[in-house]
Amino acid sequence: MTAVIIQINKYTIKPQKNMGNQKLFKGSLQTIILKLLAQNDKMYGYEITQKVKELTKGELKITEGALYPALHKLEADGLLDVEVAKIGNRLRKYYKLTEHGTKETANKLAEMQEFLKTMQHLVNPKFSLE
Amino acid sequence: MGNKHVTTENHIEQLYKFTREHFVYHYDVQTELVDHLANDIEQICEEKSHLTFEQARDVSFKKFGVFGFMNVVEQKQKAMNKRYWKILWRFVKEWFTLPKVIITSLIFIIFFTVLQSIYAEEIIFSSILILVIVDLYYLFKSRGKKKKKKKKKEKTFLLESMIGETRNGFSVLVFINVFNIINLSDTNFETMSIYLLSLAAIFATLMCIVFYITAFVMPSKAEELLAETYPEYKMI
Repeated sequence: MTAVIIQINKYTIKPQKNMGNQKLFKGSLQTIILKLLAQNDKMYGYEITQKVKELTKGELKITEGALYPALHKLEADGLLDVEVAKIGNRLRKYYKLTEHGTKETANKLAEMQEFLKTMQHLVNPKFSLE
Repeated sequence: MGNKHVTTENHIEQLYKFTREHFVYHYDVQTELVDHLANDIEQICEEKSHLTFEQARDVSFKKFGVFGFMNVVEQKQKAMNKRYWKILWRFVKEWFTLPKVIITSLIFIIFFTVLQSIYAEEIIFSSILILVIVDLYYLFKSRGKKKKKKKKKEKTFLLESMIGETRNGFSVLVFINVFNIINLSDTNFETMSIYLLSLAAIFATLMCIVFYITAFVMPSKAEELLAETYPEYKMI
């Protein structure tokens, strides 16, 4: 009989701070983008990541791999329009809300408020106003 | 190499090359990523001035995760697909308004009549064959053009290559499938009810229109469509 040796590789798993938070934020990415654009007229991708970092004091970092797909989707859905400008030696793509996008932003924000209220009830019933 | 804090023309060239090496082949997608990387690299170099341009670039690239630009490219393709179909739909609708609707109904009537004749199958198969041959010929021709363009290292936009390529699969596949369906299912046009026949004729008419639009109309209007989709198209 041969002994079967099972080797378990031990990886040191660093508990990543905010990991859970990032997951929670993920579903709200589109709303966050729309809201930012509603306030800032036009923005480019990198600017959005920096702005979010700044507003949330580093609590929320939009990952590059998620931001651009979200932007492209919103563009394809007709919520965003693009503008390109030559900045120094490179081209920069700016996004801004279309008319349809502006309307949708209001809807999404209302949805988000509703959602937050519901979560508040669920997570913290004591503090609910009802 | 010069001032690290400002990405030079040379750096930008390098970044375009970098995206190409990481499987981003289309200029529109590359451009956005290059601007992003350049911004991030500038920021990184400002914080950690000991890093070289290449090191800072790698730090920045890592933020995209293990799959690198793949996710961005894939999603962009999806988004562009949606756009492509929207454009196609715009052209298809045209065929149901005056004056083109006359041609549309004419095609329908021809199909409807042909389907009722005893030679229906023969006529349909031979027209499919002719269409496939014509299509293959154009495909062959456009391949040559594409190769030349690649050699010249011209910039290709995603939508541009879709206008050129999406139909490749479309025509041959659809026609061969129709051939198979008719053959395998023992479809006998003679015994078909008038409703089924008219349905088949409608389907055939639609196919003809889509084929014509993807093969001829969209490529001929490519410039216009690209300028409409990409504001940067006229800048380069």
